[in-house]
Amino acid sequence: MAYIEFKDVVKRFGDNTVLDHISFGIQRGDLVTLLGPSGCGKSTLLRCLSGLESVTEGSIVLDGRDVTNVPASKRNIGMVFQQYSLFPNMTVEQNVAFGLKMKKVPKGQIAKKVADAIEMVELKGKERAYPANLSGGQQQRAALARSIVTEPSVLLLDEPLSAIDAKLRKALQSRIREIHKELGLTTIFVTHDQDEAMVMSDVIQLFHSGRIEQAGSPVEVYTNPISEFAASFIGSYNQLTAGQFSRLTGAMIPKGNVVAVRPETIGISLERPEEAEGAYVVRGTVVDSTPRGNVLRYTVNVGETTLRVDVLFRSFHMFDNLDTVWLTLPEHDCLCIPAEAAA
Amino acid sequence: MAHKNLAARTAASVQRTSLAGRVFLCVVAAYLLIPFLATLVYSLFVEWTDILPSGFTLRNYQELFTNAVFWASIGRTLVLCLVSVAITIVLILLAMYVVVAVNRKVAPVMQFLCMIPYALQGVILSIGIISLYTGTGTILSNRMFMLFGAYTILVLPYIYQGIRNALNSIDAGMLIQAAEMLGCGRFRAYVQVVLPNILSGILVSSLLAESIIFGDFVLANNIAGTNYQNIQVFLQANMDVSSGLSSAIVVVIFVVVALVTALVLKLQGAAQNNAKEQA
Repeated sequence: MAYIEFKDVVKRFGDNTVLDHISFGIQRGDLVTLLGPSGCGKSTLLRCLSGLESVTEGSIVLDGRDVTNVPASKRNIGMVFQQYSLFPNMTVEQNVAFGLKMKKVPKGQIAKKVADAIEMVELKGKERAYPANLSGGQQQRAALARSIVTEPSVLLLDEPLSAIDAKLRKALQSRIREIHKELGLTTIFVTHDQDEAMVMSDVIQLFHSGRIEQAGSPVEVYTNPISEFAASFIGSYNQLTAGQFSRLTGAMIPKGNVVAVRPETIGISLERPEEAEGAYVVRGTVVDSTPRGNVLRYTVNVGETTLRVDVLFRSFHMFDNLDTVWLTLPEHDCLCIPAEAAA
Repeated sequence: MAHKNLAARTAASVQRTSLAGRVFLCVVAAYLLIPFLATLVYSLFVEWTDILPSGFTLRNYQELFTNAVFWASIGRTLVLCLVSVAITIVLILLAMYVVVAVNRKVAPVMQFLCMIPYALQGVILSIGIISLYTGTGTILSNRMFMLFGAYTILVLPYIYQGIRNALNSIDAGMLIQAAEMLGCGRFRAYVQVVLPNILSGILVSSLLAESIIFGDFVLANNIAGTNYQNIQVFLQANMDVSSGLSSAIVVVIFVVVALVTALVLKLQGAAQNNAKEQA
């Protein structure tokens, strides 16, 4: 039996159905990411679990107890908000101690627990600082300490890193992952950033228009998208209709399907590869190249189709625009996905 | 060398800007103080019928300070200020709790209701209250209670605006939710987390309300008149007695308002420090 169970949860705001019959379970100790574009319902589901939002239909079970109608303050769930929401008139120490005071933890224990939590998020030396005097990253770590110090049964993180710069975000991703392992705390993380979801999660629940589009481990979701939406959202897949694919490769796929190919699985060379068994080889023209960190993305026109191809960024001038190149598409990386699965 | 010249020029420029700012501030302050100083000077002279006054005297102040009616009117005005402002603050804080923590949809209704008194002329308000409650035989037919009620309505928009702006500036709804997630009930979160953070907004708006009530004549005169004489009604009653005495009353009003303001600001500082220590 799952530690947290969403049973046929529906949430409507007026006529707008934000959560459409959501059912899934989360195992104790897992770090689960709710991933999806803005407005897909992932934060709403998190707020329903926290008790800050009521559900219209369905129920939520936490550790065998139905918490659907339990007030937020009685659920023993920790939450870190996107806007940090630290109490401005309190120091870091006082913010972290607040939840313990509410739980009437003896004063003698509060000081020790607060000090431990502050050390865990690496904020030692900032105990007496007010939120206004902290950087965004420090504020987020203080908010994290405040949420974990009460030893909640679940930790909810609602896009906690979206307002933080890229470098600090990576450091905090690692720290959150480490803290999760250290405490073994069941954690639900909401993000719209697929890279973040890949780094952080044990399980990804991919949301689309109030429904769960796909669920699985990061590797499963990344390598085996089951719909057009999943393929486009997770891995920037090239998507070809059945007609486009057959004209490109000569291979036939059933109608009503699309073929999805990850850009990094496509080989690119100036000379036609001599050995290409188990792969489709097509000729195209480079029309653009864009550096994306350690990857260089080429846009290649192949007949009527445009394909994106990623290669490791060893040199900027591997291929020039208008170069004629040969692309190798391994057959096993050309995934056949039902087109009707797309919303 | 070039660096040193640049630094020196920058420092000189900052100094000039700072000096210009101070001079400007002094000129504005002097301009604003002219009415007060002119009234003060006028209240200190025996007669001023020629180019220069004929003599200096504290007679007006002596007469004023030995007048029990004056002290009673000052006391009544302070009571009216404190009670009316306190009632309004409590009402608005409770209503805003509903807006930020229970149902945000009522915010426009709340705003509309609180803005209505802006459109009410003092004469209309006072006549309306008198015609509605006089002779009803209830506690509300008491002129003093009518006056408290009238002032509560009068200062409603000012206190509402101040408290609403203070709540918006700290995103009170989010703070309450954050506190709820830490095991705190909504109302407790409102009292323990939100109120300490909007204290300055409450005090600033209450100061504004207090000065409005202190300066009111129309409501006090129409509703209570000499039955419950406030300082403005007392001033009006003494306008024909002596212009020097009237000036002395105006000076005292200025000083009392300034003292109350200073006291509230001091309390605000102390309350904020206290809240930080207790949190």
